[in-house]
Amino acid sequence: MGQSITVENLQAWYGEQLTLREISMDVDANQVTAIIGPSGCGKSTFIRCLNRLHETIPQGKVRGRVRLGTEDLYAMDPVDVRRVVGMVFQKPNPFPTMSIYENVAIGLKLGGIRNKSELLDRVEQSLRMAALWDEVKDRLHKPAVALSGGQQQRLCIARALAVEPEVLLMDEPASALDPVSTLRVEELVLQLKERYTILIVTHNMQQAARIADKTAFFLNGELIEYGDTTTMFTKPADKRTEDYITGRFG
Amino acid sequence: MRKVSSASKTADKVFRVATGLCASSPVLFLVAIGIVVFIESVPSIKFMGWHFLTGTQWNLGDMYGNLEVKNGVSAPAGATYGALPYIVGTLASSVIALLIAVPVAIFTAIILAYRVRGPVKTVLSILVELLAGIPSVVFGLWGVIVLAPWVAQFFGPLLTHLGVVIPFFRGPVGTGMGLLSSGLILALMIVPIITATTRDLLEQVPILYREGGIGLGMTNWEVVRKICLPYVKDGLIGAVALGWGRAMGETMAVLMVSGSAINYLPHSIFSPISTMAAVIADQLDSALTDATHLAVHALAELALVLMLLTLITNFLARWLVHRGGQRVRSGVRA
Repeated sequence: MGQSITVENLQAWYGEQLTLREISMDVDANQVTAIIGPSGCGKSTFIRCLNRLHETIPQGKVRGRVRLGTEDLYAMDPVDVRRVVGMVFQKPNPFPTMSIYENVAIGLKLGGIRNKSELLDRVEQSLRMAALWDEVKDRLHKPAVALSGGQQQRLCIARALAVEPEVLLMDEPASALDPVSTLRVEELVLQLKERYTILIVTHNMQQAARIADKTAFFLNGELIEYGDTTTMFTKPADKRTEDYITGRFG
Repeated sequence: MRKVSSASKTADKVFRVATGLCASSPVLFLVAIGIVVFIESVPSIKFMGWHFLTGTQWNLGDMYGNLEVKNGVSAPAGATYGALPYIVGTLASSVIALLIAVPVAIFTAIILAYRVRGPVKTVLSILVELLAGIPSVVFGLWGVIVLAPWVAQFFGPLLTHLGVVIPFFRGPVGTGMGLLSSGLILALMIVPIITATTRDLLEQVPILYREGGIGLGMTNWEVVRKICLPYVKDGLIGAVALGWGRAMGETMAVLMVSGSAINYLPHSIFSPISTMAAVIADQLDSALTDATHLAVHALAELALVLMLLTLITNFLARWLVHRGGQRVRSGVRA
């Protein structure tokens, strides 16, 4: 089952530059929450704070509180955090030296699963969840990089799902994909929310409208508006939100 | 119609000829050196045949006595050139060097590429590169004054405890000048080149893949081991081959700490040895006194064998890369 996330006064820096200003928001469990906003508004940084990836880059700094369910995310070991908060990146990044099978199995193996048949079962299950199994079942041991971009991205989703996280962060997962692959990823997100809490960063407002239960609008590192997707796209409370979603800027 | 001035067209021709000459010079030099070394070795090849590679005795013969003729080549009486101890010495010392240097270099490179930042990284990188800049003879001198006594008095006796399990580690330790000291000093000399190359390779691993690993809950070490090292494997093997070539060809430092064994096959890690490169430098003086010049030809053949050995190890490394690479890496690299 998914977990809720509570963010309180979250601030993040790149060196001297403050990229997130005092963000506070509650993300509901088993819902899809879209993060929208123009380039450089801090939306990627925001979700990268939720699996503690932001602090791994040189000069990345975070302050504030993030709770996963009731647990303080920043009091946990970062490696443990990333096991329960999975991430799918903007560009498909299957591990290039590994086969399709190994890409999904690696997380399980590191988690201590050694049994071959159990591994295969879990890999199949994850690939099915990512709607990729039928396309790759006959070539599991072929290089992952031989797949198409859309398939690679679904493989990355399968890889993230294999370790059974509670939250799935998606950083513009469809921005490098063609329309058909995009649609498949969106369908997938809708199916996955039954089991996971999903946060998805997107540039595409139609995408947010199609799949998100709630939407957060970021601008210049601030959370401008956060609420029910339908309300936000029909009756935005803030003038800046309205300007953005009607295409006046961004 | 307007035309580009003929002056710039001439300049272009000059440019093309000049770049062509420069670009082809490595090939020309390689071929020229290869041919000279081969031609110089021909009398020795005729004289010794395959025994050059299997013989253990290197004897210039009686230079003041009668000449004898064998296989159509005249030589001082009793002359024989068996290079096996030097081939063994070269391979053994360079392999010991690799066994020590490769892990050290890879860990140093990992630290330089991923673990340190800012001024610390710069200083460490400069230090590694400075190590590469120390002249070989200085390493040799340090080897004689510091390393060999340390091996003789401390490190050697410690290792002999392993001799119970591995006969090759059995004493006596002797003066400390020998196979182990040669391997150690070679290791020091090739660490910088392997470190620098590996660091550059690791820095080229796209952040995308490393973050993929981190995002999956891998520890730093798991990211390096499962993602980065496999990604740079091809280049890494190349770097090791480069270091191996250096170690085999290194002359001065080895000559100073090897114990200059002649006609003697090492039976333990403390045995005195000689390498092909060291023998060429060491024996050239005596060889020049041979009126038949056969001794010089024999040294040339030694050089030929050394060159071939370096080539073989290089091709071997490339073959390993090729074989390993085809299985997984048939797709495009992002």
